[in-house]
Amino acid sequence: MRVSRLLIVLCALAAPLARGDPLQHEFLLFTSAEFAGTFDRQAPETQVVDEVLKADMLFSLQHGPLKLFGEYLVSDHEGDLERFQLGWQLSDDTIIWVGRYHQPTSVWNHDHHHGQYLQTSITRPAIDEWEDLGGILPQHFTGVLLESSRPVLDAWQLRTAVGAGLAPQLNPEGLQTFNLLHPDSNRRQVGYQARASLHPGEFTESGIGALVADDRLSAVGWNFPPGTGFDDVDLRLYGVFGTYAAAAWKLTATVYYADARLERHESIAASDFIVGCVQAERRFGHELTGFLRWEDSSGAGRSQYIKLFEEFARLGHIAGLRWDFAENQALTLQLSDTHTLNGHFADFRLQWSAAFF
Amino acid sequence: MRRALLLTLLLVLCTQGVAGTQAVVLVVPADSNVVDLEPVTVRKLFLGLPVLVNGVPLHPFRNRSDAQLDPIFLQQIVAMSQSAYDRQILIGVNRQGWLRPVELTTRARVLATLYSDPNAVTFMWLRDVERNPKVRVIRVLWSD
Repeated sequence: MRVSRLLIVLCALAAPLARGDPLQHEFLLFTSAEFAGTFDRQAPETQVVDEVLKADMLFSLQHGPLKLFGEYLVSDHEGDLERFQLGWQLSDDTIIWVGRYHQPTSVWNHDHHHGQYLQTSITRPAIDEWEDLGGILPQHFTGVLLESSRPVLDAWQLRTAVGAGLAPQLNPEGLQTFNLLHPDSNRRQVGYQARASLHPGEFTESGIGALVADDRLSAVGWNFPPGTGFDDVDLRLYGVFGTYAAAAWKLTATVYYADARLERHESIAASDFIVGCVQAERRFGHELTGFLRWEDSSGAGRSQYIKLFEEFARLGHIAGLRWDFAENQALTLQLSDTHTLNGHFADFRLQWSAAFF
Repeated sequence: MRRALLLTLLLVLCTQGVAGTQAVVLVVPADSNVVDLEPVTVRKLFLGLPVLVNGVPLHPFRNRSDAQLDPIFLQQIVAMSQSAYDRQILIGVNRQGWLRPVELTTRARVLATLYSDPNAVTFMWLRDVERNPKVRVIRVLWSD
């Protein structure tokens, strides 16, 4: 009811500006099919699923400066409204959103979201993994997001994003996001995120940036036996990142420092860790792209917070080859070597991915 | 006889010269609020980025009524290959729900859109619009 009232008010506000402006729309479908297998397996748990079929649907409606943007992902193991944002285009450079958004301090997810076809590798770095796939950082928030991109220093471009919203809850199954289609009344707290990046042009991916987040997570089901455990997690994240994108090469590097405090009354169990990731991509002839990725961490083994996520990859090496064999369609082969807190495994994956308008 | 041949040749060359003068222009409806658009703004517009005039977004339409307009669009307006352009559009929709420029495949549809949408922006051959009072030329994008 509150949402409908908000929509009516916003439409009324937008009407004078949008007079004579037809409703515009856009629809985009990302699909993928993946087959995976593990070998040399010593870890009791992995994040590898044998087969995954996905259809990621994005839609956008625009009437004057008012915009409605949504993303619904269906796979053979989930169906979820990933993003649902009502936006107001304040100027050419700035838009403010209200709704469920992807938090901007995940470097990988801010660039690729769920668009499997747009990412060269099949998998994303472990630190950027989604909550329902064992991810350790909250990715989906419900609140307000302000995004901007404006020219500075002559030809440079400063891109910024600031968000504040309801954070996921942490229970023994992992991080549980607020579901707009099936809202719950569970205790949730607020998280704040900000990122800024500087780019040598408006249309280039090259650039450097920094990010900071302070997310408070309500913990449920961790008080066993009674009197032990923790009630909340205060997760502070700091990071720097850089990308160099040229015609043949693309290099991306990210370093996160996380300070996770498991709190119960006045007692605090502090645990910090560092996670880094470097990915190199090289384009060859015949629409082939090779890629390598190295993920590493420091302090993950002794972090009380990371111990809550047994499948987290503290060390990983990835190599692969992508073939863009047709318009907006690609085949990708990837080999990975992963070390979790409890063991090691290797895997291979084959994926078909595509984008359809 | 030789003089006649020379005159004929000059006449043919002159005719070809006049006919060969071509230009692609950026156009808006005559009642549009758009006064001028810088080349970088035109590029942003056709890459799907929001461009607002008086608080209302402009609507870019890609004119595909003539195959000869495609290379001019890619080289002079968005300055990238078709595959890079397609990828840029995908990225924009995926990140912020930007709208891809609508493609119009006949000259009649291009003109009909200009007559009906006051926020429309597109490009056409100059020869198709130079005597049309319902359409205003904003700038020359390309000429040979």
